[in-house]
Amino acid sequence: MSKDVYILGIESSCDETSVAIVKNGSEDIATVVLSQMDTHANYGGVVPEIASRMHVENITMVIEECLTKANMTMDDITAIAVTYGPGLIGSLLVGVVAAETLAYVYNKPLVPVHHIAGHIYANNLTKKMEFPLIALVVSGGHTELVYMKDNYCFEKIGGTLDDAVGEAYDKVARIIKVPYPGGPLVDKMSYDGQDNYSLPTPLADGSYNFSFSGLKSAVINLVHNEEQRGHEINKADLACSFQQRVVDILAKKTMMALENYDVKNLIIAGGVAANSGIRTRLKELCEEKNYNLTIPEFRYCTDNATMIAAAGYFAYLKGRTSGLDLKAKANTVLE
Amino acid sequence: MKILFLDTSSFFATVAIIEDGKIKYLFQEEIKDDMASRMLPVIQEGFNQVSFTINDIDKIMVVNGPGSFTGVRIGVTIAKVLAWSLKKDIVTISSLEFMATTPHKEKYIIPMIDARRGYVYAGVYDTDLKNILPDQYIKYDDLKEYFTDGIKVSHDDNLDAEKPQTDIEKIVAMHLNDEAIPCHKVNPNYLKKTEAEENLKGKND
Repeated sequence: MSKDVYILGIESSCDETSVAIVKNGSEDIATVVLSQMDTHANYGGVVPEIASRMHVENITMVIEECLTKANMTMDDITAIAVTYGPGLIGSLLVGVVAAETLAYVYNKPLVPVHHIAGHIYANNLTKKMEFPLIALVVSGGHTELVYMKDNYCFEKIGGTLDDAVGEAYDKVARIIKVPYPGGPLVDKMSYDGQDNYSLPTPLADGSYNFSFSGLKSAVINLVHNEEQRGHEINKADLACSFQQRVVDILAKKTMMALENYDVKNLIIAGGVAANSGIRTRLKELCEEKNYNLTIPEFRYCTDNATMIAAAGYFAYLKGRTSGLDLKAKANTVLE
Repeated sequence: MKILFLDTSSFFATVAIIEDGKIKYLFQEEIKDDMASRMLPVIQEGFNQVSFTINDIDKIMVVNGPGSFTGVRIGVTIAKVLAWSLKKDIVTISSLEFMATTPHKEKYIIPMIDARRGYVYAGVYDTDLKNILPDQYIKYDDLKEYFTDGIKVSHDDNLDAEKPQTDIEKIVAMHLNDEAIPCHKVNPNYLKKTEAEENLKGKND
């Protein structure tokens, strides 16, 4: 039997400082996530400079806590995986520099991981991914359909032309005055409402692309018009109508991809994979059409280093390592 | 005593390896882009050139600001993770004091870093490196009383000042017996809150 591979993952692309150890790309040995959400909530959104400052303050504590939790030392680690992008550059830099330093001192391979590859491989912590597959990536920064023929082969078949779906959720939350982070609350509110507002289904065409800015504008206009007329907005109804349109289009294009690509598995990835509307609809559709669906556990949907370590394992097996001159990148294509 | 000295607080980066007070390896260069991806290869190269390894280091000295926020974070992150890995402590050094090691004959030396909008990060030091006016974020014009008896030094071309000629052995000797700080507690000294924090404070006041 071949030797077990333990990857230490580091994630700092936004407002979570996270370090995790994963065995053979699938077993979560220890995960530590230090969220800065409470701090950024005071500002109504993530403040990049504050995020960077907090990452520096906490990085060594989070590394130490993870190893303690795993009851391991750095000598037990096979390689170090780190999110190099995309994300907030100042935040990414802290994780990347920390990973480079560890790789140097302990003489371990350094494995750069694309943040979205991490979100996709979060699924492998739940159930072994089967190829070929389609991944629906939905987060605050991304909305993409990715075709994967095999491990670590990414082919983007469609993506958002403007706002990411999570961004649209946060903006709608702000319009109807739901506190930060509004996305999950809009999801929750939608269950108390009914689909009574008329909103357009965005970019309902034959492509695999998405567009959410029109839908967002429609919500803004609707709220504005109702206010002008002195009508009170039924927030739950509006949340419900908005969520319905979003789920409609995500489900439609995902099902279209499943029909046109010969795949064994649909996986959902990214922070918005925690959205219950999306989870429920795709579950129903996949059961009905007999597609194999994997959704990560809630705790692996938001940003975490576990998914980075899981993806890092497959990148490492493919020999995708980097020198100590690894660069953090705010924008970078998944490939 | 073997020391690794790091300063990435401005585009003028310093990496030095010091043994018993003497520089054994020195890297000093302007790095305008990708400071983060340059530093580890430089440190690695440094230890290839000296007769001992990173594991033999007794202490890490890092310039923790003020200066470029990103630059400061790079040096401090490296220092913290190194210190954690090697189980060594850290001595932090002011970027302004480091600049003030520049040899001069005036009564004062005024190291400055451009902070834009007429502001600088600056301090006033005497010839013994005593901090007469503590390091602070200050209006350039408010420093003028020190200019007649002092020499201004800065890496920034837009400030009317001499280029610093830093003395690494001197600053290391001065701080050799400073109380070292455990890695978790070491932080950058930005000397300025973020704009978001200032605005929030303004709103609440």
